[in-house]
Order: sequence, then C-alpha cells, then structure tokens
Amino acid sequence: MLRIENLGIQFGQTELFSHIDLHVKKGELVCLTGPSGCGKTTLLKAIMGFVPPHTGTISVNGITLSPRTAYHIRHQVAWMPQGLSLPCERVREMVHLPFGLKVNRGVSFSETTLLDHFNTLGLEKGLLDKRLHEISGGQRQRILLAITAMQEKPLVIIDEPTSALDHASTEKALQFVQQLAAKGKTILAVSHDPRFIEGCGRQYKISD
Amino acid sequence: MGTTIDISYWGLGIGMLLLLVPLYFFHHFKTGLVKPTIVGAIRMIVQLFLIGIYLKYLFLWDNPWINFLWVFIMVFVATETALSRTRLKRRILMIPLAIGFLASAILVGLYFLGVVLRLDNIFGAQYMIPIFGILMGNMLSSNVIALNTFYSNLMREQQLYYYLLGNGATRHEATAPFVREAIIKAFSPAIANMAVMGLVALPGTMIGQILGGSSPNVAIKYQMMIIVITVAASILSLMTTLWLSARKTFDSYGCIRQVFKE
Repeated sequence: MLRIENLGIQFGQTELFSHIDLHVKKGELVCLTGPSGCGKTTLLKAIMGFVPPHTGTISVNGITLSPRTAYHIRHQVAWMPQGLSLPCERVREMVHLPFGLKVNRGVSFSETTLLDHFNTLGLEKGLLDKRLHEISGGQRQRILLAITAMQEKPLVIIDEPTSALDHASTEKALQFVQQLAAKGKTILAVSHDPRFIEGCGRQYKISD
Repeated sequence: MGTTIDISYWGLGIGMLLLLVPLYFFHHFKTGLVKPTIVGAIRMIVQLFLIGIYLKYLFLWDNPWINFLWVFIMVFVATETALSRTRLKRRILMIPLAIGFLASAILVGLYFLGVVLRLDNIFGAQYMIPIFGILMGNMLSSNVIALNTFYSNLMREQQLYYYLLGNGATRHEATAPFVREAIIKAFSPAIANMAVMGLVALPGTMIGQILGGSSPNVAIKYQMMIIVITVAASILSLMTTLWLSARKTFDSYGCIRQVFKE
C-alpha cells in the first residue's frame, strides 16, 4: 500500500533524515516514533507531497509521488494533522468540510455513522452543535479522528491523535484506530504516547 | 434640458474652503490626518487639472490608437497602484494584474459600447475614455481589497488550505474558502450600495449627467449600466488575476510559496 524507499529530506543544506525505507501493507497499523524534531511529521507531509524528497521515492498503491501524481495520492489519503485549528464557527461545519470535496462525492455522509463513531470515542452527540471554542483539545482530536475515519480512503495518516487525551480516552481512540485497521484501512500514525505506540501493530523508529 | 453652469475659479476656491471643516476636526482629535488631507487635496487638484488638459486633447484628436494608448497607460498606472497597496511580491502579481485589468476592461467596456449603446464608433474618445476610466477605477479598488484579503487569509489560515489539499481537494477547492472571503469583502459594499441607490444616495455618474444637462430618465439608465459593468469587470479582473497568479503563488505540488515581500 505504502512504499518509502531510500527517502531523504533536507532543508537547504541541513539534512533532516536520510535512507528511510518503510513498507506498509494494506490493513497494517504502523506508528512512527522517535525524538521530537527527528522528522516524523515531515515524513507524513512528504507522503502527501508537502515536503519534496531530496532523495528516494514514495509510492501509494503503486503510484509514485511526483508533481503530476500528488493529487492522485492525496485522493487516497485521509489526513488528520497535528494540532489542527480550523477557522470554523461550529463543530458541524468542521465535520462537513472534507465531505464537500469532489473526492468524497461518492461518499454519502451519514450523521448516524458519525454519531456511532462519537459514541465509540466517548464523545457526546450534543458536541455536533457546539461552537468550536466551546470544546476541549481532546474532544477536537477525537472529532477529527471520527471525520478521518468517515472518509472512505484506503490510507489514513494521523499525527499525534492522542496528545490531548487522558488514559481512558486514549484507550478508546486506540481501539477505534485498531478497528479501522481490522476493516482493511492502512494506518500510519505518529505518536509520543507509550500506550498508543504499544497498541500499534508495528513501530518504526526515526533516529536523530 | 438646460445647459451646465460652469464653476468659476473664484467659486472653486470658495468651495475648497469647506475642506477647513474636516481639517479642523482632524486636528482637534489629533488623528494625524491633517497632512495627508492637505497633500491629498493638492494632488487631487493638480491631477484633475492635468487630466482635464489630457482629456481635452484626447477628445480633440479622437483617434482610436491614441485612445487605446491612453487605456494602456491607465492599465499601467492601475497595476502599479494596486502593487503599491498590497505587500505582495511584484513578480507574482504584476503581469496577472495588468492582463486582468486590460482584458476585463476591453471585454466589458466594448460590450457596453458596442452591444448595449450600439455606437457606430465604439472607439470614440467621448464614450470609450470615460467608460474605461470608471471601469479601471472600480477594478482597482475591488482588486486591492480582494487580493489583500485572499493572500493574507491564505497565509494566516494555511492549516485549512493544507488540510483540504491533504484530504484530496484540488487546488481550486482548497483555495475556494479564501476566494469566497475575498469576494465577500470586496463586493459587499458595492452590493449594499446597489440596494439603497436612489434612496439613501444619488450616485456620482447620475448627478454628473443631470448637471451636464441629461434628462433624469437617461441618467438613471446610464447609472444602472455603470453599476452592472463595474461589478462585472471587477469580478472578471479579480478572477483573471487570481487564476494567472496561481502558478507563481503555488509550487508544482500545490504548496504555498512566499508571496509577501520580505
């Protein structure tokens, strides 16, 4: 599903990392680990073409990343960025954002499914009608996780999905992600949370 | 209808004394607007007198080539003014702005002169110069507001842009929220103005025509058309500018480049 070969990223003359080889199969749940600043988030962004590779190749479902194919690769990705703050007034507006895109036109948005996900993640139904500034960082993370799951994309990329969650909510989020993988979605996560890392099928450490 | 009553230079001078009223309040409340007002008023007087001289000769010669040359000069000045009023890099916006202004003015202006007015000579100075002038002025002000809004929001809310792009949006879809905001900000005043026209405000073009001796019936028809063609040309020029500037605003992967001056 995802093949990264001999990937190297550098900013100007400064090399962030090099010789990254990572193969992720369909339905696998892999967590990228490593110290802060080692390039975990940058690696995720590189998959979507937001950071150009200095060396090596990235391919998703057999499509090798290039300026021409970046759009086709992003078509297959559901992405939850770290610390995302969207300029939306209400939660409902934020939830609907990706479903207005052409890529999701074939996906029928079901509020029932969303509320099922809310329930699994320990969120109340009433959150949907709240203003964004009224909800906590942890609630926002879980809502974004639910939105990411609802997009019917084969590759799910999640960056620090549990950084603002307590132990019980982390467990729920982990189980939710594990269920997604069990349903055949390929998941690449970044986390510093030992419990989340432990719960992922495989860990890939990026060293300094 | 009657003829126009000229304003004598003495009368003009007496009229200008009214500027003392705003100047007093600007000074009293320490607004810092006294000097800009005086400089602005002097510039206005000099520029309008010069324009008066230019226009006199443009009308006298009434040559399509010279008229088009004048349009090119207006496009150049409007482009430079727009560039100076945004903090954006010249290489990103200069050519898109110039093409946007020129293409929209020609398309909408000639449509009005040729299709609506059905003039025998659509390149005649009496109609072409004022119509292109009013289009250019409106395109300039709405483009400056819209471009500043678009680029400032795009830079500030990059997370939204990349979130949409990363989840499979086309570049057009990912920039749509920013284009929407820019259009709302630039065109809301014009739309609000349209809604109260004739009730709260009597517009300049209409007043000008009535003072110039036209019947109010003719003046209102011109006024309606002026509003419609200025809004149409402004949105066309904005869309053209944004479309043409996209290549230099985003890299081949759709990532946002540094667009503001250092």
